[in-house]
Amino acid sequence: MSSTSNSPTGNNRVRIVVATSVMLTFISYWRAAAVILNDLGSSAFYAGGIAEQAIGKSAPWFVLGVMLFAFAVRAVYVESCSMFVRGGVYRVVKEALGGTLAKLSVSALMFDYILTGPVSGVSAGQYIAGLINDTISIADAHGLIPSAVHHLFNGTLQVGVNATAVVFAIAVTLYFWWQNIKGIEESSEKALWVMQITTVMVVMLLGWSLFTLLKVGGHLPPFPTLANIHYSEESLGFWKHSKLPHMFGILGLIIGFGHSVLAMSGEESLAQVYRELAHPKLKNLKRTAIVIGVYSFVFTGLVSLLAVMLIPDNVRMKVYSDNLIAGLAMNMVGPQVLRLAFRAFVVVVGFLILSGAVNTAIVGSNGVLNRVSEDGVLADWFRRPHKKYGTTYRIINLIVGLQLFTIIVSWGNIYTLGEAYAFGVVWSFVFKTVSMLVLRYRYKGERNWKVPPNFHIFGVEIPIGLASVGMVLLSTAIVNLFTKSVATVSGLIFSIVFFAIFTFSEKVNRRKHAHNAAQMKEQFQLQQAESVERETVGIRAGNVLVPVRDYNTLNHLKWVLDRTDTHEHDVVVMTARISQFGSAAYGLSTEQIFSDYEQTLFTRAVSVAESFGKRISLLVVPARDPWSAIAQTAHNLESSTVVSGLSSKMTTAEQAFALGSAWEAIPEPKRQFVLQIVQLDGIVDTFRIGPHTPTMKNEDVVLLHRLWLNLTREPGLENVHHHDILTEALTRFAHDYGAHDREDIVKRLLSHSTDGDPLPVRRIADQVDTVQPRPARTDRDDSHPDADPSGTPSGSKPTGSE
Amino acid sequence: MRISVVLIKILEYMFVAGWAGTVIVLLLTGWEDVGTLLDRKDENSR
Repeated sequence: MSSTSNSPTGNNRVRIVVATSVMLTFISYWRAAAVILNDLGSSAFYAGGIAEQAIGKSAPWFVLGVMLFAFAVRAVYVESCSMFVRGGVYRVVKEALGGTLAKLSVSALMFDYILTGPVSGVSAGQYIAGLINDTISIADAHGLIPSAVHHLFNGTLQVGVNATAVVFAIAVTLYFWWQNIKGIEESSEKALWVMQITTVMVVMLLGWSLFTLLKVGGHLPPFPTLANIHYSEESLGFWKHSKLPHMFGILGLIIGFGHSVLAMSGEESLAQVYRELAHPKLKNLKRTAIVIGVYSFVFTGLVSLLAVMLIPDNVRMKVYSDNLIAGLAMNMVGPQVLRLAFRAFVVVVGFLILSGAVNTAIVGSNGVLNRVSEDGVLADWFRRPHKKYGTTYRIINLIVGLQLFTIIVSWGNIYTLGEAYAFGVVWSFVFKTVSMLVLRYRYKGERNWKVPPNFHIFGVEIPIGLASVGMVLLSTAIVNLFTKSVATVSGLIFSIVFFAIFTFSEKVNRRKHAHNAAQMKEQFQLQQAESVERETVGIRAGNVLVPVRDYNTLNHLKWVLDRTDTHEHDVVVMTARISQFGSAAYGLSTEQIFSDYEQTLFTRAVSVAESFGKRISLLVVPARDPWSAIAQTAHNLESSTVVSGLSSKMTTAEQAFALGSAWEAIPEPKRQFVLQIVQLDGIVDTFRIGPHTPTMKNEDVVLLHRLWLNLTREPGLENVHHHDILTEALTRFAHDYGAHDREDIVKRLLSHSTDGDPLPVRRIADQVDTVQPRPARTDRDDSHPDADPSGTPSGSKPTGSE
Repeated sequence: MRISVVLIKILEYMFVAGWAGTVIVLLLTGWEDVGTLLDRKDENSR
């Protein structure tokens, strides 16, 4: 057992078990698809418009081509995930091409992630501003705007579209900045809900569009030939004055493809959710890939096509270039009010999915930067947790600062943002695919799936499929360098600056880490373990688990040590190393998980234990969610009690509910345990986690007893027990709840919980006549609802909360 | 100019050859995807 005094290793160092597997709650492929589609699907709102602005009316064919090509890119991701459980860009490039190119690829990926926020926020703002303006115009046309307003604004009141988009994007970014500082979780539940609403919109949009096509007819966009590609002024970038783009037919296709490539942004999320996919992982990953592939092809691809077919040429780019789906809604057949209402629905859905993408951008960037920071590539300074919320606030501040800067500099120009965005998207894919090609020859480990087809010539494998995808991506990325001047300049500056920061930080960190490692070796002995097991930690069942996070608030540890005889019950101090969304996609080494912060935290914990002269065991677990980590660790270690401090964000009841929810997610069979939350004033709230005998109120007991007395007087019921009455009552309740009285029951419980009124048990109890028990009659219920399991530190004041 | 033309030609060949191979990838993976979708033995419906 690790301890503060005698270590079994025979020296004075304290052993710390460091679990290297992130504790995750696994999700189905539907949920995984929803998480990815929140990012990938959001591009449908702007990709078509941006592509048409750049290359003209044939753009939808290119968008459809990109969505088709995205299926092949997904195959590359499936292969990488079949090799590494955490198969994101950084891991794969580092493995194949080394640290320098990995840093460069992460810089491009960061450019992609950081721009996802502004492009989504601005796009949502454009949709809102467009709706406001069109609603005012229609109201004006119907004479609903008073003439005084006309005079005041010298005509019809219109809001500035770009200015509104900027204000909205800043507001949304700031909102999610604060949410991320506080530490919200990426919820697959919420993602699924957003995608359900989006699906309703997509079905309505497609159905109505097809009906409109049948009614009024429409023409397919011109096919993508050199004659049909009409470059805008900005779309040729450095080749603006060159004849080259007009000389080659296929070059025109590459330019068009390059201007549409942003439609498949968000693919990287596939690697990030893989770690969290439920068994069978690879099959579920393929299913996820199919779902997102088909969905984005239908949504992004077909919507772009229908927009060109249904929105008249004279208004499509002039009015609706930045809110193409809104334009589609307004050009259906049907009453204007209905079309406007549907457009409002489109805006609501756009707001939900695009705002979600703003959050994904912050969470994803934070995850990637955390990961590189853990790898020593970014200074530890960035990872210092927020005092109150424990989040990596400095990284979040940096990301959001860059996003706000981008929003203001672009001043709501979605075209510029989108063009720049494509730089990060295409180059991160290039790095990934080239690395995968290299790994075909260098990687000798397990690989469960390969991108087909593959041939063997003289025993050498020729990865035709992978090389083909790589060639399309590389040729597009190189042509993009010339045709997207803003993207090239901004992308290169950004990538070089980030690369320089990474390289400088790595050098500084290497020196610092060498010093720290030497210091740590004197104090702690790290023992790596794949998963948390009681045997690994060297403790007995029935132990007390004490989660710690802030080294300034270890009161609950003191409380436990004061009341626990460590000869009888082991005390395990654990800290959950929170890996943000995205970090789970990468492997963590022991030194990364046990950083400076954990060292300080455990040094304090050890000195507290020493002050009590008691032993403690130390444990670090990486996790996405602290509650899952605590619940799973308590379960794995067979802990009888978890003693926690009071959260700065939650009440004790909310903490208990969060831990209870995490416990519910653990697969059966699972153990119950007691949660005690020690508040600053020393008051302790006790909760039981898992199904347990509820703490009964006195009036409930009185009512039960009176009923029992009455029932035992009935002929043949002399031997009935209290629990028989409860069983009957609960069976009836369950029956009523499952049948006709469900609403009534919910209403009654709701009114009691919101009014704070107790259920009228006492009144009912008073209505039951008291009868004298027969002298010889006793009920042999032997369970006591408040019996504490062994190992619970004594001296607590159970509140009776459940 | 001549170098640019040669480079562009190379990029064009890469793009066309890449797409030709990608179509095969799409056909093969598409066929496999049908099998994956039809095999619902161990589907996790959570």
